[in-house]
Amino acid sequence: MDSIIVPAALESLGRISDFVLDAAARVGLEEHAAWQVQLAVDEAATNIIQHGYEPDTPGEIEISWRVDGVQFAITLHDHGRFFDPKDVPMPDIHAPLAERQAGGLGIFLMGRLMDEVRFECDAKRGNFLTMTKRIGPAVGPARIFPLTGRLDAVGTGAALAQVQAALSTGARNILLDMAGVTFMSSSGLRALLLVRKELIARDGQLRLCELQPQVYEVFTITGFTQIFSIHRTRDDALAAFVQST
Amino acid sequence: MEIIHKRLNRVDMLKVVGRLDAMHAPQFKQEIERLFEQGRYRLVLDFSQLEYVASPGLRVLIESRKRARDWKITDLEGGDVRIAALPSRIREVFDLTGFTSLFEIFPDTTEAVGSF
Repeated sequence: MDSIIVPAALESLGRISDFVLDAAARVGLEEHAAWQVQLAVDEAATNIIQHGYEPDTPGEIEISWRVDGVQFAITLHDHGRFFDPKDVPMPDIHAPLAERQAGGLGIFLMGRLMDEVRFECDAKRGNFLTMTKRIGPAVGPARIFPLTGRLDAVGTGAALAQVQAALSTGARNILLDMAGVTFMSSSGLRALLLVRKELIARDGQLRLCELQPQVYEVFTITGFTQIFSIHRTRDDALAAFVQST
Repeated sequence: MEIIHKRLNRVDMLKVVGRLDAMHAPQFKQEIERLFEQGRYRLVLDFSQLEYVASPGLRVLIESRKRARDWKITDLEGGDVRIAALPSRIREVFDLTGFTSLFEIFPDTTEAVGSF
Protein backbone atom coordinates (compact mmCIF):
# COMPACT_ATOMS: atom_id res chain seq x y z
CA MET A 1 0.00 0.00 0.00
CA ASP A 2 1.33 3.36 -1.02
CA SER A 3 -0.10 6.66 -2.20
CA ILE A 4 0.68 10.03 -3.77
CA ILE A 5 -1.20 13.29 -3.97
CA VAL A 6 -0.71 15.35 -7.11
CA PRO A 7 -2.27 18.57 -8.42
CA ALA A 8 -5.19 17.84 -10.76
CA ALA A 9 -3.29 19.17 -13.78
CA LEU A 10 -2.23 17.58 -17.05
CA GLU A 11 1.40 18.18 -16.02
CA SER A 12 0.87 15.49 -13.35
CA LEU A 13 0.12 12.70 -15.82
CA GLY A 14 3.77 11.76 -16.28
CA ARG A 15 4.28 11.49 -12.52
CA ILE A 16 1.11 9.43 -12.14
CA SER A 17 2.32 7.01 -14.82
CA ASP A 18 5.67 6.61 -13.08
CA PHE A 19 3.91 5.95 -9.76
CA VAL A 20 1.68 3.28 -11.33
CA LEU A 21 4.56 1.52 -13.08
CA ASP A 22 6.57 1.50 -9.87
CA ALA A 23 3.63 0.00 -7.95
CA ALA A 24 3.03 -2.60 -10.67
CA ALA A 25 6.67 -3.68 -10.54
CA ARG A 26 6.55 -3.99 -6.75
CA VAL A 27 3.49 -6.25 -6.74
CA GLY A 28 4.81 -8.40 -9.58
CA LEU A 29 2.39 -7.52 -12.36
CA GLU A 30 3.90 -8.67 -15.63
CA GLU A 31 4.87 -5.98 -18.12
CA HIS A 32 1.81 -6.21 -20.32
CA ALA A 33 -0.62 -5.99 -17.40
CA ALA A 34 1.40 -3.12 -15.95
CA TRP A 35 1.03 -1.21 -19.21
CA GLN A 36 -2.74 -1.85 -19.20
CA VAL A 37 -3.05 -0.49 -15.65
CA GLN A 38 -0.88 2.50 -16.56
CA LEU A 39 -3.13 3.41 -19.48
CA ALA A 40 -6.36 2.87 -17.52
CA VAL A 41 -5.17 5.10 -14.67
CA ASP A 42 -3.98 7.72 -17.16
CA GLU A 43 -7.46 7.79 -18.72
CA ALA A 44 -9.12 8.01 -15.31
CA ALA A 45 -6.85 10.85 -14.15
CA THR A 46 -7.39 12.72 -17.43
CA ASN A 47 -11.16 12.56 -16.88
CA ILE A 48 -10.83 13.99 -13.37
CA ILE A 49 -8.47 16.75 -14.52
CA GLN A 50 -10.53 17.75 -17.57
CA HIS A 51 -14.08 17.21 -16.32
CA GLY A 52 -14.01 16.89 -12.53
CA TYR A 53 -12.48 20.19 -11.53
CA GLU A 54 -13.30 23.61 -12.93
CA PRO A 55 -10.29 25.13 -14.72
CA ASP A 56 -10.15 28.11 -12.33
CA THR A 57 -10.46 26.07 -9.14
CA PRO A 58 -7.92 23.30 -9.46
CA GLY A 59 -7.76 20.58 -6.82
CA GLU A 60 -5.84 17.45 -6.10
CA ILE A 61 -5.97 13.76 -6.91
CA GLU A 62 -4.86 11.13 -4.47
CA ILE A 63 -3.80 7.84 -5.98
CA SER A 64 -3.31 4.79 -3.82
CA TRP A 65 -2.91 1.08 -4.38
CA ARG A 66 -3.21 -2.11 -2.41
CA VAL A 67 -3.11 -5.82 -2.96
CA ASP A 68 -6.20 -7.76 -2.05
CA GLY A 69 -5.53 -11.49 -2.43
CA VAL A 70 -4.62 -11.85 -6.10
CA GLN A 71 -6.14 -8.50 -7.04
CA PHE A 72 -4.10 -5.35 -7.54
CA ALA A 73 -6.46 -2.48 -6.72
CA ILE A 74 -5.74 1.15 -7.53
CA THR A 75 -7.94 4.00 -6.34
CA LEU A 76 -8.20 7.59 -7.55
CA HIS A 77 -9.73 9.94 -5.00
CA ASP A 78 -10.78 13.50 -5.77
CA HIS A 79 -13.15 16.25 -4.66
CA GLY A 80 -14.27 17.46 -8.06
CA ARG A 81 -17.63 17.06 -9.71
CA PHE A 82 -18.82 13.45 -9.58
CA PHE A 83 -18.26 11.72 -12.84
CA ASP A 84 -21.13 9.38 -13.61
CA PRO A 85 -20.07 6.83 -16.23
CA LYS A 86 -23.73 6.39 -17.17
CA ASP A 87 -23.61 9.89 -18.71
CA VAL A 88 -21.03 8.79 -21.24
CA PRO A 89 -22.39 6.92 -24.26
CA MET A 90 -20.38 3.85 -25.17
CA PRO A 91 -18.57 4.44 -28.46
CA ASP A 92 -19.57 2.19 -31.34
CA ILE A 93 -16.15 0.86 -32.24
CA HIS A 94 -17.50 -0.75 -35.40
CA ALA A 95 -18.90 2.49 -36.86
CA PRO A 96 -17.34 3.76 -40.11
CA LEU A 97 -15.26 6.94 -39.95
CA ALA A 98 -18.04 9.33 -41.01
CA GLU A 99 -20.30 8.18 -38.16
CA ARG A 100 -17.58 7.56 -35.65
CA GLN A 101 -17.75 9.78 -32.55
CA ALA A 102 -14.41 11.05 -31.30
CA GLY A 103 -15.26 10.95 -27.58
CA GLY A 104 -16.01 8.34 -24.94
CA LEU A 105 -12.92 6.26 -25.62
CA GLY A 106 -11.26 6.91 -22.27
CA ILE A 107 -13.91 5.25 -20.15
CA PHE A 108 -14.32 2.52 -22.75
CA LEU A 109 -10.61 1.72 -22.56
CA MET A 110 -10.69 1.61 -18.76
CA GLY A 111 -13.34 -1.09 -18.93
CA ARG A 112 -11.44 -3.10 -21.50
CA LEU A 113 -8.04 -2.85 -19.84
CA MET A 114 -9.06 -3.60 -16.25
CA ASP A 115 -10.98 -6.49 -14.71
CA GLU A 116 -13.24 -4.21 -12.71
CA VAL A 117 -13.98 -0.47 -12.64
CA ARG A 118 -16.06 0.95 -9.80
CA PHE A 119 -17.19 4.55 -9.27
CA GLU A 120 -18.35 5.70 -5.83
CA CYS A 121 -19.43 9.14 -4.69
CA ASP A 122 -19.57 10.24 -1.07
CA ALA A 123 -20.94 13.71 -0.33
CA LYS A 124 -18.40 14.24 2.46
CA ARG A 125 -15.35 12.28 1.43
CA GLY A 126 -15.42 12.88 -2.33
CA ASN A 127 -15.19 10.58 -5.35
CA PHE A 128 -13.48 7.23 -5.42
CA LEU A 129 -12.70 5.37 -8.60
CA THR A 130 -11.28 1.91 -7.95
CA MET A 131 -9.95 -0.36 -10.67
CA THR A 132 -8.64 -3.86 -10.19
CA LYS A 133 -6.34 -6.13 -12.13
CA ARG A 134 -5.60 -9.72 -11.44
CA ILE A 135 -2.00 -10.55 -10.58
CA GLY A 136 -0.61 -13.83 -11.73
CA PRO A 137 -1.14 -16.58 -14.23
CA ALA A 138 -3.46 -16.47 -17.20
CA VAL A 139 -7.15 -17.27 -16.88
CA GLY A 140 -8.12 -20.73 -18.04
CA PRO A 141 -10.42 -21.42 -20.96
CA ALA A 142 -13.90 -19.95 -20.86
CA ARG A 143 -17.06 -22.06 -20.95
CA ILE A 144 -19.77 -20.79 -23.28
CA PHE A 145 -23.47 -21.04 -22.43
CA PRO A 146 -26.10 -20.00 -24.98
CA LEU A 147 -29.16 -18.69 -23.12
CA THR A 148 -32.66 -18.64 -24.54
CA GLY A 149 -36.09 -17.31 -23.68
CA ARG A 150 -37.13 -14.75 -21.11
CA LEU A 151 -34.88 -13.90 -18.20
CA ASP A 152 -37.65 -12.88 -15.82
CA ALA A 153 -38.99 -14.12 -12.49
CA VAL A 154 -40.36 -17.24 -14.19
CA GLY A 155 -37.78 -18.09 -16.84
CA THR A 156 -34.43 -17.21 -15.23
CA GLY A 157 -34.10 -20.36 -13.12
CA ALA A 158 -34.42 -22.72 -16.07
CA ALA A 159 -32.30 -20.56 -18.38
CA LEU A 160 -29.42 -20.47 -15.91
CA ALA A 161 -29.68 -24.10 -14.72
CA GLN A 162 -26.61 -25.23 -16.63
CA VAL A 163 -24.65 -22.18 -15.54
CA GLN A 164 -25.46 -22.94 -11.91
CA ALA A 165 -24.35 -26.53 -12.43
CA ALA A 166 -21.05 -25.31 -13.89
CA LEU A 167 -20.59 -22.95 -10.93
CA SER A 168 -21.08 -25.78 -8.48
CA THR A 169 -18.36 -27.77 -10.20
CA GLY A 170 -15.87 -24.92 -9.98
CA ALA A 171 -16.10 -23.15 -13.37
CA ARG A 172 -14.12 -19.88 -13.32
CA ASN A 173 -14.62 -18.22 -16.68
CA ILE A 174 -18.07 -18.10 -18.17
CA LEU A 175 -19.35 -16.53 -21.35
CA LEU A 176 -23.10 -16.14 -21.73
CA ASP A 177 -24.24 -15.93 -25.33
CA MET A 178 -27.48 -13.94 -25.02
CA ALA A 179 -28.54 -14.11 -28.70
CA GLY A 180 -31.64 -16.15 -27.80
CA VAL A 181 -32.73 -13.99 -24.87
CA THR A 182 -35.76 -11.91 -25.82
CA PHE A 183 -36.58 -10.25 -22.52
CA MET A 184 -34.80 -9.33 -19.35
CA SER A 185 -36.30 -8.21 -16.04
CA SER A 186 -34.76 -7.16 -12.74
CA SER A 187 -34.93 -10.81 -11.60
CA GLY A 188 -32.75 -11.77 -14.54
CA LEU A 189 -30.29 -8.97 -13.81
CA ARG A 190 -30.11 -10.00 -10.18
CA ALA A 191 -29.37 -13.59 -11.12
CA LEU A 192 -26.57 -12.50 -13.47
CA LEU A 193 -25.12 -10.26 -10.75
CA LEU A 194 -24.97 -13.25 -8.39
CA VAL A 195 -23.20 -15.36 -11.02
CA ARG A 196 -20.72 -12.55 -11.58
CA LYS A 197 -20.10 -12.11 -7.86
CA GLU A 198 -19.47 -15.79 -7.42
CA LEU A 199 -16.99 -15.92 -10.32
CA ILE A 200 -15.09 -12.87 -9.13
CA ALA A 201 -14.79 -14.43 -5.68
CA ARG A 202 -12.91 -17.32 -7.28
CA ASP A 203 -10.80 -15.01 -9.51
CA GLY A 204 -12.88 -15.83 -12.55
CA GLN A 205 -14.74 -13.66 -15.02
CA LEU A 206 -18.25 -13.40 -16.42
CA ARG A 207 -18.71 -11.96 -19.88
CA LEU A 208 -21.83 -11.48 -21.99
CA CYS A 209 -22.19 -11.28 -25.76
CA GLU A 210 -24.73 -11.02 -28.60
CA LEU A 211 -27.33 -9.04 -26.65
CA GLN A 212 -30.52 -8.20 -28.53
CA PRO A 213 -31.16 -4.42 -28.60
CA GLN A 214 -34.11 -4.51 -26.19
CA VAL A 215 -32.07 -6.56 -23.72
CA TYR A 216 -29.02 -4.32 -24.07
CA GLU A 217 -31.31 -1.37 -23.32
CA VAL A 218 -32.13 -2.85 -19.92
CA PHE A 219 -28.42 -2.86 -19.13
CA THR A 220 -28.03 0.72 -20.37
CA ILE A 221 -30.98 2.10 -18.40
CA THR A 222 -29.83 0.48 -15.18
CA GLY A 223 -26.21 1.51 -15.69
CA PHE A 224 -25.17 -2.15 -15.66
CA THR A 225 -23.20 -1.73 -18.89
CA GLN A 226 -20.48 -0.42 -16.57
CA ILE A 227 -20.65 -3.45 -14.29
CA PHE A 228 -20.89 -6.30 -16.78
CA SER A 229 -18.34 -7.00 -19.47
CA ILE A 230 -20.52 -6.89 -22.57
CA HIS A 231 -19.20 -7.81 -25.99
CA ARG A 232 -20.64 -7.75 -29.44
CA THR A 233 -19.63 -11.19 -30.66
CA ARG A 234 -18.39 -14.45 -29.16
CA ASP A 235 -15.00 -13.85 -30.70
CA ASP A 236 -14.70 -10.41 -29.12
CA ALA A 237 -15.61 -11.88 -25.74
CA LEU A 238 -13.22 -14.81 -26.00
CA ALA A 239 -10.41 -12.48 -27.01
CA ALA A 240 -11.14 -10.36 -23.94
CA PHE A 241 -10.72 -13.37 -21.63
CA VAL A 242 -7.21 -13.68 -23.01
CA GLN A 243 -6.38 -9.97 -23.07
CA SER A 244 -7.36 -9.32 -19.48
CA THR A 245 -4.76 -11.69 -18.12
CA MET B 1 6.68 14.40 -26.79
CA GLU B 2 8.44 15.68 -29.86
CA ILE B 3 7.05 16.11 -33.36
CA ILE B 4 9.39 16.13 -36.32
CA HIS B 5 7.97 17.54 -39.53
CA LYS B 6 9.30 16.64 -42.94
CA ARG B 7 7.84 18.15 -46.10
CA LEU B 8 7.92 15.97 -49.17
CA ASN B 9 6.65 16.84 -52.60
CA ARG B 10 2.96 15.98 -52.26
CA VAL B 11 2.90 14.65 -48.73
CA ASP B 12 3.80 15.92 -45.27
CA MET B 13 5.24 13.54 -42.73
CA LEU B 14 4.95 13.96 -38.97
CA LYS B 15 7.04 11.74 -36.76
CA VAL B 16 5.69 11.59 -33.23
CA VAL B 17 8.24 10.70 -30.57
CA GLY B 18 7.35 9.90 -26.96
CA ARG B 19 4.02 10.08 -25.14
CA LEU B 20 0.82 11.16 -26.85
CA ASP B 21 -1.38 11.70 -23.78
CA ALA B 22 -3.82 14.43 -22.71
CA MET B 23 -0.90 16.72 -21.91
CA HIS B 24 0.56 16.51 -25.41
CA ALA B 25 -2.51 15.94 -27.59
CA PRO B 26 -3.15 19.72 -28.05
CA GLN B 27 0.33 20.24 -29.49
CA PHE B 28 -0.18 17.29 -31.85
CA LYS B 29 -3.51 18.74 -32.94
CA GLN B 30 -1.97 22.19 -33.51
CA GLU B 31 0.78 20.74 -35.65
CA ILE B 32 -1.74 18.96 -37.89
CA GLU B 33 -4.02 21.98 -38.13
CA ARG B 34 -1.10 24.18 -39.12
CA LEU B 35 -0.58 21.92 -42.14
CA PHE B 36 -4.30 21.91 -42.97
CA GLU B 37 -4.30 25.71 -42.91
CA GLN B 38 -1.51 25.67 -45.50
CA GLY B 39 -3.68 23.47 -47.71
CA ARG B 40 -1.58 20.40 -46.92
CA TYR B 41 -4.07 17.58 -46.44
CA ARG B 42 -1.96 14.55 -47.33
CA LEU B 43 -0.33 13.42 -44.12
CA VAL B 44 1.70 10.43 -43.08
CA LEU B 45 2.08 9.92 -39.34
CA ASP B 46 5.25 8.04 -38.50
CA PHE B 47 4.53 6.26 -35.21
CA SER B 48 7.71 4.17 -35.12
CA GLN B 49 8.94 6.08 -32.04
CA LEU B 50 5.56 6.61 -30.39
CA GLU B 51 5.80 5.12 -26.92
CA TYR B 52 2.32 5.64 -25.63
CA VAL B 53 -1.09 6.78 -26.79
CA ALA B 54 -4.18 7.64 -24.71
CA SER B 55 -7.71 8.59 -25.76
CA PRO B 56 -7.07 12.36 -26.23
CA GLY B 57 -4.51 11.42 -28.89
CA LEU B 58 -6.95 8.99 -30.50
CA ARG B 59 -9.51 11.75 -30.62
CA VAL B 60 -7.16 14.00 -32.59
CA LEU B 61 -6.57 11.15 -35.05
CA ILE B 62 -10.28 10.67 -35.78
CA GLU B 63 -10.97 14.40 -36.12
CA SER B 64 -7.94 14.91 -38.36
CA ARG B 65 -8.74 12.07 -40.71
CA LYS B 66 -12.33 13.31 -41.05
CA ARG B 67 -11.11 16.80 -41.98
CA ALA B 68 -8.44 15.58 -44.38
CA ARG B 69 -10.90 13.33 -46.20
CA ASP B 70 -13.28 16.27 -46.68
CA TRP B 71 -10.66 17.89 -48.89
CA LYS B 72 -10.98 16.58 -52.44
CA ILE B 73 -9.36 17.50 -55.76
CA THR B 74 -11.36 14.96 -57.72
CA ASP B 75 -13.52 12.08 -56.61
CA LEU B 76 -10.45 9.89 -56.71
CA GLU B 77 -7.85 12.21 -55.33
CA GLY B 78 -7.85 14.10 -52.09
CA GLY B 79 -6.58 14.36 -48.56
CA ASP B 80 -6.02 11.66 -46.00
CA VAL B 81 -4.21 10.90 -42.77
CA ARG B 82 -2.35 7.60 -43.04
CA ILE B 83 -0.32 5.83 -40.44
CA ALA B 84 3.06 4.14 -40.69
CA ALA B 85 5.05 1.80 -38.44
CA LEU B 86 2.75 1.03 -35.50
CA PRO B 87 4.60 -0.36 -32.46
CA SER B 88 2.85 -3.39 -30.91
CA ARG B 89 1.46 -1.60 -27.84
CA ILE B 90 -0.02 1.15 -29.98
CA ARG B 91 -1.49 -1.47 -32.30
CA GLU B 92 -3.12 -3.10 -29.30
CA VAL B 93 -4.87 0.18 -28.43
CA PHE B 94 -5.90 0.47 -32.09
CA ASP B 95 -7.34 -3.06 -31.97
CA LEU B 96 -9.24 -2.44 -28.73
CA THR B 97 -10.82 0.76 -29.99
CA GLY B 98 -11.59 -0.35 -33.55
CA PHE B 99 -9.00 2.05 -34.99
CA THR B 100 -7.31 -0.73 -36.96
CA SER B 101 -10.19 -0.76 -39.41
CA LEU B 102 -10.68 3.02 -39.21
CA PHE B 103 -7.27 3.93 -40.65
CA GLU B 104 -5.00 2.88 -43.46
CA ILE B 105 -1.94 1.52 -41.75
CA PHE B 106 1.37 0.77 -43.48
CA PRO B 107 4.40 -1.17 -42.29
CA ASP B 108 6.78 1.74 -42.99
CA THR B 109 6.82 5.37 -44.12
CA THR B 110 7.98 4.55 -47.65
CA GLU B 111 4.87 2.52 -48.32
CA ALA B 112 2.64 5.07 -46.63
CA VAL B 113 4.03 7.95 -48.69
CA GLY B 114 3.88 5.86 -51.85
CA SER B 115 0.20 5.11 -51.26
CA PHE B 116 -0.80 8.72 -52.02
